[in-house]
Amino acid sequence: MKKVITGNQAVAYGVILSRVDVISAYPITPQTTIVEELSELTASGRTKTVFLKVESEHSAMAALIGASTGGVRCFTATSSHGLAYMHEMLHWASGARLPIVLVNVNRAIAPPWNIWSDQSDSLSQRDTGWVQLYCEHNQEVLDTVLQAYRIAESVKLPVMVVLDAYVLSHTSEPVEIPTAEEVDAFLPPYCPGYTIDTQEPMAFSTIATPDHFLEFRYKIQKAMEQVPEVAKKVDDEFRTRFNRGYSAIERYGKEEAEILLMTSGTVTGTSRIVVEKLIGKGYDVAGLKIKRFRPFPVEEIYKEIRGAKKVAVIDRNLSAGVGGIFAQELRASLYSKEKEPQIFGFVSGLGGRDITPELIEEAIRYTLDRPQSEEEILWLGLKK
Amino acid sequence: MSDPIQFKGASEMPMISVSFGHMDWNKTGAWRAQRPFYEDKTSPCSAACPVGNDIAGFIQKITEEDFEGAWNLIQEENPFPGVCGRVCFHPCESKCNRRDYDEPIAIHALERFASDFASSLGKKLKKIPGARKGKIAVIGSGPAGMSCAYHLAKLDYDVTVFESASLAGGMLRTGIPSYRLPKDVLDREISNVQELGVEIRTGTPFAEDLNLEGLKNYQAVFIATGAHRGRGLHIPGERRKGVFSGLDLLKKINLSKKVKLGDKIAIIGGGNTAVDVARSVIRLGKKATILYRRSKEEIPAFDEEMVEALEEGVKIRYLVNPIRVQQKDSLHRLECLRMELGEKDESGRRKPLPIPDSNFFFEVDNVIIAAGEEVELSFLPKRLEKKEGIVLTQKDGSTGIKGIFAGGDLTSNQRTVAHAIGSGKKAALAIDCYLKGNDSEEALRQVLIGEGPSISMFRYLHPQERLMNPHAVTFDELNTDYFEPSRRQREIKGLSKKRIRGFGEVTSGFTEGIALDEAERCFSCGTCVGCENCYVFCPDASIIKMGGVISHQVDYDFCKGCGICFSECPRGVISLKEEAR
Repeated sequence: MKKVITGNQAVAYGVILSRVDVISAYPITPQTTIVEELSELTASGRTKTVFLKVESEHSAMAALIGASTGGVRCFTATSSHGLAYMHEMLHWASGARLPIVLVNVNRAIAPPWNIWSDQSDSLSQRDTGWVQLYCEHNQEVLDTVLQAYRIAESVKLPVMVVLDAYVLSHTSEPVEIPTAEEVDAFLPPYCPGYTIDTQEPMAFSTIATPDHFLEFRYKIQKAMEQVPEVAKKVDDEFRTRFNRGYSAIERYGKEEAEILLMTSGTVTGTSRIVVEKLIGKGYDVAGLKIKRFRPFPVEEIYKEIRGAKKVAVIDRNLSAGVGGIFAQELRASLYSKEKEPQIFGFVSGLGGRDITPELIEEAIRYTLDRPQSEEEILWLGLKK
Repeated sequence: MSDPIQFKGASEMPMISVSFGHMDWNKTGAWRAQRPFYEDKTSPCSAACPVGNDIAGFIQKITEEDFEGAWNLIQEENPFPGVCGRVCFHPCESKCNRRDYDEPIAIHALERFASDFASSLGKKLKKIPGARKGKIAVIGSGPAGMSCAYHLAKLDYDVTVFESASLAGGMLRTGIPSYRLPKDVLDREISNVQELGVEIRTGTPFAEDLNLEGLKNYQAVFIATGAHRGRGLHIPGERRKGVFSGLDLLKKINLSKKVKLGDKIAIIGGGNTAVDVARSVIRLGKKATILYRRSKEEIPAFDEEMVEALEEGVKIRYLVNPIRVQQKDSLHRLECLRMELGEKDESGRRKPLPIPDSNFFFEVDNVIIAAGEEVELSFLPKRLEKKEGIVLTQKDGSTGIKGIFAGGDLTSNQRTVAHAIGSGKKAALAIDCYLKGNDSEEALRQVLIGEGPSISMFRYLHPQERLMNPHAVTFDELNTDYFEPSRRQREIKGLSKKRIRGFGEVTSGFTEGIALDEAERCFSCGTCVGCENCYVFCPDASIIKMGGVISHQVDYDFCKGCGICFSECPRGVISLKEEAR
């Protein structure tokens, strides 16, 4: 069934279809309508989900850590300061290997106060051991929630699904909503590993001395390394069942091109139009959509990037002192590889400023016109 | 404590740091400085109920949609829920903790609902099988006598009730108009008492064919003959023709006897009897004016009665005191003085003082005196000790004569239906103790509700089944975070124009849906309803659900005494005490 729904509603549909057992959340703009929708569904008795009201995002995640340790499927949603407040518990969820799914609606972090789209919140959590998946449109949002549980529960790591504030969260698009039977066939019930059982008590997250701590972290890294393969398998199955899918990296435009434009989130939607237009004018250009940020899809990117001389990256985020974070990760992953292309790191659209087709075209033209970037950070649309 | 394990490397290790042993050896209860424990406490409504109803208990049954269970629970204490639900002055609601939050629970309406529901199902009480323990006589079939007979029958006694009138019910039948208490409601609750095996002999007045001598075959006697004599005004002319006592007039109307009244009636007094008379004569098509010597502030009639009376066209004149009744042809000329209020008197109300030379005349067809009631002492045994117009008894209802007990309006100036029912119940317990040779004072003390004076017959019969700390839970002891403000449900009243056309009941009872909504407002002060807040919040998973007489227990091996259960209990069921050092 197709419905015209917002990105936040798409999240709620995904969560309900995933037959989540426990939801715990604290409201924050622009995420709030997700949990509003879910709390109404729960209160109406249409789902058997338990909805825990808590006094903070820190507690929301802590509650889910408890519930997930008890062996049930869990969900929360947050944004910006809420995610920052959860930070300690994000580490705990991954360290305890709990397959919790969290939806983060990208919003800038204050000050100055700003409620609009900006990836700095989720990218600040890149080292917490969570898988991170970014979405371009509302259909992808719903589908990614379903896939996230499959991935999380296979590798026993938490997954963060990320979408842009307002551009997706509060904007309606037609979305194909799968039936419960279809989703049940795709997403089986959660089979936990170690769980709390009062009949057979065990102590969880006990101390690990220097003798063992390193090895536990090694295991998390190994689990992260399984994600590309698992995610591909999950997506392949998804494509078979639903005739659509999302790879970690998607290339569009020309198959061979001198210039690649790498984007994430909704900027990709705009970029598709610009790239198509420029190809029509005879430009040698292609686009790269990056969906998965953690684990960073090094191999997949390298496969697509070969042959390109330059890569323009547009980042809607800033790691002050370095620049855009996607560009930084890309540079690091390509270092010492053969035929390393020139990276052009553009920073634009912070705090929700529109990244317009004109700005994207300006970035591509800049990249075309120069053998290499003249500055470490290329500010796109900056009013000097 | 298990020993730490050494692994050779990652390949041998589990995914997470988990101990396959457990932490049960670590008895964290040793850290505890204070100890939580469960004890149901008294709800303030029950503590205020002269009958001794388990109000939190029966309302809880209603929330569980077990309406019959609610009725059964009320019947443990009170054979007259249909009566009390309609006419009791509900002191329970004045003490309801919800009053401090939004509006008190409509307890009277829920009690009425439970009774009417059971009646609609044709529910009857059953005679308890087995041998009777002894024969007891009850004199008077009013609320005190019938309550005593009812509880004695449940205690396995063979009870005979002697009633002077032709129908049982006492003041419930003769004193309360049927627009407030329909006769079929009274009849069905009296017949419930009879179902238990109680015999009622009507038309048998005490002291004529019947006296203590004649009751020698009975092992104990309970006298509850009430206060049926109207108090006089002691003014000239009050014995003239056409001047009636309010109680006598009500009795005639309530027994459907003919009354001869003119059109314009003056009723003297400000109590419920005055209002009952006024509303009754209005229903007979007359004009009624109440004359009361104090002001609106002091009037003892219940507010709701006053509101309904005014709606129905009853007139009231405050600060007026009749001093003489004169007669002019068929008309009466009532000479009155205007009054003003002085200092407070011993009743705590401001004393009415006559304004000199304020005399005026009030012309009416009839004068009805409703200035209170008193006990007719003349026919009672001489040996009974009397003082200030009432029979003297001990707390348990025993008189100076061995085996003779007394209660109801005869022995008290708190003349309400609820007090009468309570005193009958207390006497039943005392008679049981007397015949068994037990100390009734001690037995009563054991089953007091709160500080008393009302008692629980259920706890007398089942000492271990409803353990309760006498402390009445206060508003401050509740955690109201768990309750939402809501409006009190109101009973629907007929339109006043229609009401005055007859003696049909003014108020309609709750529907099931409304009763459920209202019952769900109850805080259940002091009574565990199994909300499981304690179980959910305990950080040490130390709450053990029992589901018996005591709802939960604390696992003291692990309870650290944080007190979260105590503060998160919405209804004050959990107590904390300091650990002995």
